[in-house]
Amino acid sequence: MLSKSQARAFFLGGTGVFSLAFLGLTYDSHKQVPKQTNEDKLTEQVIRGKKIWEKNNCMGCHTLFGEGAYYAPELTKVVERRGKDWMRLFLKDPQAMFPGERKMTDYDFSDEQIEDVIAFFEWCGNVDLNGFPAKPPLGRVAAPIVTTGKSDVPQPELFKTICIACHSVGGVGGIVGPALDQVGTRIEREPMKDWIRDPQKIKPGTPMPQIPMTPEQLDEIVDYLQGLSNNQ
Amino acid sequence: MKFKTQKIAYWFFASALLLLVLQIVYGFIMGFAHMGYDGLHNIIPFNTARAVHTNLLLVWLLLGFMGSAYFIIPEEAERELAWPKLAYVQLISFLLVGVTAVVCYHMNIWEGRKFLEIPRPLDWLVVGNILLFLANIGWTIWNGKRFTTTSIVLYMGLLCAALLYLPGMIDFDNQTLDSFYRWWVVHLWVEGVWELIMGGILCFLLIKLTGVDREVVEKWLYIIVGLTFISGILGTGHHYYYIGVPHYWLIVGGIFSALEPLAFLGMAMYALAMAKKGGRKHPNKTALTWTLGCAIMAFVGAGFLGIAHTIPQVNMWTHGTLVTAMHGHLAFWGAYAMIVFAMIAYAMPLMTGRKLWDTNASTYGFWLSNIGMVAMTGAFAVAGISQVVLERRTGIDFMEVQKEIEPHFFGLVLAAGLFTIGILLFILNFIRYGRPTDEALNSDPADT
Repeated sequence: MLSKSQARAFFLGGTGVFSLAFLGLTYDSHKQVPKQTNEDKLTEQVIRGKKIWEKNNCMGCHTLFGEGAYYAPELTKVVERRGKDWMRLFLKDPQAMFPGERKMTDYDFSDEQIEDVIAFFEWCGNVDLNGFPAKPPLGRVAAPIVTTGKSDVPQPELFKTICIACHSVGGVGGIVGPALDQVGTRIEREPMKDWIRDPQKIKPGTPMPQIPMTPEQLDEIVDYLQGLSNNQ
Repeated sequence: MKFKTQKIAYWFFASALLLLVLQIVYGFIMGFAHMGYDGLHNIIPFNTARAVHTNLLLVWLLLGFMGSAYFIIPEEAERELAWPKLAYVQLISFLLVGVTAVVCYHMNIWEGRKFLEIPRPLDWLVVGNILLFLANIGWTIWNGKRFTTTSIVLYMGLLCAALLYLPGMIDFDNQTLDSFYRWWVVHLWVEGVWELIMGGILCFLLIKLTGVDREVVEKWLYIIVGLTFISGILGTGHHYYYIGVPHYWLIVGGIFSALEPLAFLGMAMYALAMAKKGGRKHPNKTALTWTLGCAIMAFVGAGFLGIAHTIPQVNMWTHGTLVTAMHGHLAFWGAYAMIVFAMIAYAMPLMTGRKLWDTNASTYGFWLSNIGMVAMTGAFAVAGISQVVLERRTGIDFMEVQKEIEPHFFGLVLAAGLFTIGILLFILNFIRYGRPTDEALNSDPADT
C-alpha cells in the first residue's frame, strides 16, 4: 500500500506537471487571442466603452460572453439583435422602452458615452466565441398569428428596429404593447399620427414612449400600419 | 483548547456569522426582485445586491478560514500564536475593508468584474491584510514544536490563495484576456487552493473527532488534494469554452472538469471511511455531522452538479443562465460554508467550556439549513432548465421567459426561508455558548 511519502510525491508531482501544462496552454492562448478577438479593431472608443461597462458593474445584472448575472439579457450579440438605433434610444431612457417591466438603472449617459458602449458591444459581438451563443435549434412557439403580416408597403426600418421590440405584427415582435395587425381598422391616419408624435398628450401616464422621428419616418410608419388592415 | 490564543478564533467566527446574516438579507432582495417585487430598485439596484451578496460570501468564508487557522495552527504547532494582538488588528482591518466595499457598492463605486468588484485601493488593503495573517500563522508554524502535514497543507492553501489574488489585479483592454485572468483568481481559488484549505480543516477535524491515526488521515489528504489539483488546474478550461480563446479549451476543459468530481467523491469516501474506522466516540456529534455533511454535500453540489453543466455540449446552452446559480449555491454551501460550520461546531465547546453540542437548536440548525439549501437548489434548477429550454433552445425573448419562471422564485424564497431558520438556530446556539474563557483550557473530552 501507498506510503505517506509516495502520496506526497503524487501530490507535488501531479500539481507540478499540470501547472506547467496550464502555463503552456496559457502561453499559446495569448498568441492566438489577438487574431481570434480582432484586436486590430480594439479602438480607443471600444476601450472607453469597456470602462463604462466596468464602472457601472453592468455584469451585476447582464451577461457578456455568458458571464455575469442572470437578471438581465445576454449582450454579446446585442448589436446584431437590436440594432444601433434601438440601443441609442434605450440607453437614453431604459425604463421608457419596457414600461412597467423589470427595471434598468438610468445612468444618464451622454450621446458620446452611448456610442462608446455600442462600439464595445459591436467589438464583443465579432469575437470568435467557438459558436456561443448558439442559434435556438427548436422553432419558436409562435403567438397565434392573426394576420398574414402583409402590408401595402414594406416594413419601415424604424419599425423593424424600434417598434417591434414592444409590438408584434403577424405574430412576430414584443408583447409589451398590443399587437398592431388591425390597428388601422380602429384608428385613422391623423389621430394615429398625433398619438405617435406625443403619446403622453393624448393619454397621460401611458407607458408608450415618445420615439424621436422625422415627419417622413412618421408618414412611413403610418402608411405601413394603415396598409396592414387592407390585407386581412 | 490547549492554548490561550486559540480563543481568537471566536471573534473571527462571530464576525463571519454576522456577515452571513447580511448576505442572506441581500439574497432575499434578489429573490424578490426576480419575482417582480423590485421596490428597492432605486436604493439597492440588482447589481448592488448581487455584488454585496457574493462579496460578503467571500469575506465571511475567508474570516471562517482565518478563524479556523487561528484555532488549528497553535494546536498543531504546539505553541501559542506568535502575535495575538496582531490577529485582532488584522480582524478589525479586514472587517473595515469589507464594510467599506459594501458601502461603495451602494454608491456605484466598483471595478465591475464579477466576484472581484471591490475598488482597486481596497484590493491592496486586502493583500496587506492577508500578508499580516500569513506572517502570523507562518511564524507560529516555523517556531512551533512540530510540523504537521495538516498545518502545512492549510498554510499552503492560504498562501496560494493570497498569491492567486494578484492576477485579478492586472488590467487588460481586451475583454477576453480580462475574463481569462479573472478566472485565475475565481476558479483557481474555489476549485483549487480553497480545497487545500478545506482539506486541511477536514483532516484536522477527522483526526480529532474519529481518533484515526494521524499518519493514515494525512496520507489520504495528500491523495485527495493531489486529485484536486490534477483535475482542477486544467479544469479552469471549463470557463474558457466561450470567451474568445482557442477551441482546444473545450477538449481540455471538458476532460479535466469531468475528473473534478473524483476529487470530491474521494473526499466524501475518505471522510466516511475515517468516521467508520475511528474507534473514538467523540461526544460532539454535531461537529461530526457537519464534517461528514460537508464532505457529502461538497460532492453533490460542487462535484455532481458541477459536471452536470461543464460538459461542453451542455454548457453551450446552460452557460450564462440560472443553471450556474443552481450549481453555485450548493457548491459553496457544501464545500466551504459547511466546513466553517463544522469547525465552529467543533471549536465552540472547547473555547467556552460549555457542552451545548446536542441541543435541539444545533440539530434543527443542521437539518433545516441543509434541507432549505437543497430545496433552493431545486428551485434554481427548475428555473434554470426552463430558461434554457425557452430562451436558449426555443428562442423566446429573455424578458418573456423571465416572466414565465417567476413562480419558481416564489419556491426559491420559501426554501430560503427554511434555510434562514436553520442558520438562525445555529447562531442561537452559538450565542448560548457565551464568550471563550481561559477556564476552558484542556477541556477536550477526547483528550481525557
